[in-house]
Amino acid sequence: MRNFLAALLFGASALAGAGAAAAQNGPLRIEIDQGVIEPLPYAVPDFIPETSAASEFANQIARVIASDLSGTGLFREVPASAHISKVTGFDNPVKYADWKAVNAQALITGAVSVNGNRLTVRFRGYDVFAENELGTGLQFTGTTEGWRRMAHKVSDAIYSRITGESGYFDSRVVYVSESGPKNDRRKRLAIMDYDGANVQYLTNSAALVLAPRFSPTGDRVLYTSYESGFPQIHVLDVGKVQRKILSSGDGIMSFAPRFAPDGRTVVYSQTQGGNTDLYSMDIATGAKARLTSAPSIETAPSFSPDGSQIVFESDRSGSQQLYVMPVGGGEARRISFGKGRYGTPVWSPRGDMIAFTKQNKGRFHIGVMRTDGSEERLLTASFLDEGPTWAPNGRVIMFTRESQGSTGRALLYSVDITGRNLKPVKTPDGASDPAWSPLQQ
Amino acid sequence: MQTGTKISLAGHGLLMGWVVFGAWFPSEPLPFEVQQVALISAEQFEKLSQQRQAPQVSPEPAPLNEPEAVQPAPEPAPQPDPEPEITRPEPVAPAEPDPQVAVLPEPQPEPDVPVELPSAVEEPEVPSLVPQVAPEAQQRPSDRVAPVPVARPEPDTAVAEIEQPEVAPEEGAETEQEVQEATAPEEASDRIVTEENEGEELVASAAPAASLRPRTRPARPQPQPEEVVEAAQPAEPEQPAEEPAADTSSAVEDALAEALAGGADAEAPEPSGPPLTLGEKDALRVAVSQCWNVGSLSTDALNTTVVVGVSLSEDGKPDGSSIRMLTSTGGSVSAAKQAYEAARRAIIRCGRNGFNLPPEKYAQWRDIEMTFNPERMRIK
Repeated sequence: MRNFLAALLFGASALAGAGAAAAQNGPLRIEIDQGVIEPLPYAVPDFIPETSAASEFANQIARVIASDLSGTGLFREVPASAHISKVTGFDNPVKYADWKAVNAQALITGAVSVNGNRLTVRFRGYDVFAENELGTGLQFTGTTEGWRRMAHKVSDAIYSRITGESGYFDSRVVYVSESGPKNDRRKRLAIMDYDGANVQYLTNSAALVLAPRFSPTGDRVLYTSYESGFPQIHVLDVGKVQRKILSSGDGIMSFAPRFAPDGRTVVYSQTQGGNTDLYSMDIATGAKARLTSAPSIETAPSFSPDGSQIVFESDRSGSQQLYVMPVGGGEARRISFGKGRYGTPVWSPRGDMIAFTKQNKGRFHIGVMRTDGSEERLLTASFLDEGPTWAPNGRVIMFTRESQGSTGRALLYSVDITGRNLKPVKTPDGASDPAWSPLQQ
Repeated sequence: MQTGTKISLAGHGLLMGWVVFGAWFPSEPLPFEVQQVALISAEQFEKLSQQRQAPQVSPEPAPLNEPEAVQPAPEPAPQPDPEPEITRPEPVAPAEPDPQVAVLPEPQPEPDVPVELPSAVEEPEVPSLVPQVAPEAQQRPSDRVAPVPVARPEPDTAVAEIEQPEVAPEEGAETEQEVQEATAPEEASDRIVTEENEGEELVASAAPAASLRPRTRPARPQPQPEEVVEAAQPAEPEQPAEEPAADTSSAVEDALAEALAGGADAEAPEPSGPPLTLGEKDALRVAVSQCWNVGSLSTDALNTTVVVGVSLSEDGKPDGSSIRMLTSTGGSVSAAKQAYEAARRAIIRCGRNGFNLPPEKYAQWRDIEMTFNPERMRIK
């Protein structure tokens, strides 16, 4: 009987299979919901020098582009030693088969010419396996001194075309340069390209400076200086090298300033009568408004990109936590509820995340969370990590990492918001308190 | 004594004599080395012993002399002056020198407005024989995230989709052996490993923290209702009722019903022939997923599901010109474009040698619609 049933079942299954086969109308349909996350291989052969004076730039520009793209952790360069064919002319047809053979999925070609002090860079990007161009080719013209910026602009364009989001290579970072032993550290403001190149110092080390912050257009920097013996907020015009004190009143300590997205208002902390609260100030008129009035310490304010809300840290609940309130002040909503203490919140330029410093069980972390406090994710863990700042595209975070011991020093690090690609940022001396500029125009 | 015995005795005697006085017991003295030994005093020995001890480490290292801080005022600008005519205004010196401000920051020359370039000449498709070069080794192999974790391959192992041992030609073999290079899949983790979670054990996190106490023994199952037994054996009513029989008969009924229902559609025009089995579909799914790299996609693109249509030739290779985006959901037009391009790369890359599909079922897989859903890939 069992044999009979088995035979019947087999026959029915066959019939069912045949029926199902016949029932498949149209194309075969499958769903792919698992993939891989790995750097995308690309090739960037040396750009073609179209004039003799362009030879020195042809290789350097290609190297900066490769450094930019590979530095993101999203791309991996196929080294020149593996290239099969050479790019001999900017307008020559691309031999896709040669690039497929070395598994280069993207190809960047370019040409450089120099006429006097004018540098012209042309480039094209290719999707090798699709055998078509990644967007249209572009041409930049500038001075020879600005060749690195032009390379960064090419990188931004390529990054944007492959990932679909804007780049962050043509940007700068202002930070506090630190030198000297830990108990006598000299600090001065410095500014550099995002990758650590072109370091320039904005102040001398006569007075302690802290927490520089870029304006939304990147032309001014707010910072806290102890020049007068107590903390005061200064605003420095980066182009004109003119600075101005944003006075809160004689003998009143003000610190932790941050520009509003409109660039006209500053929000900061002010300590008066032993209590620290948040205030806003119109830069042009000096008019102030008090935003909080709790008996606790409120500090480290940061605007949402639309300028409607402020995230800040406060110990009003008994421990240091993060809160969000309307830009004009009012009821604050606590958003951090995990174990440990939270501080230095910074709203992402995309508006979707808040980066913060977390201290728990003797370790410091840089983390991100949604603006309602959900989906908290810690990206780093070390002896001392603090002070995150966002890249202009909201994809990368730079922060300060200080090593342990009397010889420990502060350095800048960057990490992707997924927690991947953690790496130090090259600076000539110790460095802390980074603030990332917007993309340069 | 027989002659043979004499010869044997003489032979053995000679052999024993040669062994004893000849090869096995050479009379030459063994070579030896002579070393000069000097006597030293206890103080000298103590001194030598101390030299081999580890250096004493002071609890606090002596602070290093920091170089004198350079006065920043006369600091040379690292960049030469930019060309003044470009975009940014000429920096204006402040009316009064500011002692705090150190150096005039040099604004970078700003490139002019970019100019779009015409497309390059299209390269005619020329079949060429090119060597297959294995992909370059990654700088940080553990950064790769794949559906299934892969251990680090042995050194000198080429990266390939399948794992195979090295086969070297055997010396003296009569038949010629095919040389085979050792290959293995690239190292991968099944999650993003950050500094914060790199020490965590996946198994530990997946296991329950405590085990529940077993529940009391469930009640015995009630005997099957009479009507089920009857329904189970319409052909042979004398068969005793059994629980599996009831299930089987139900499955048979279901299968028959499904087959009959399918029979109604048997006249559907295309495609015809046997369908792909689940295993064959899974193999295709896995093959494409191994090349579907979402690592460089934007957040918006990772929220976008795209359906991509593709036609395959009979050797399983995708026709590049047939690949097209049919629909997209969840993201902007730009995000859909990026998501589609990543999907297209996956199909072309992993299909360049032909997908492993049964040729006899070509009609079933000639046209495929692949849905690329990145929901599970957003945060690994």
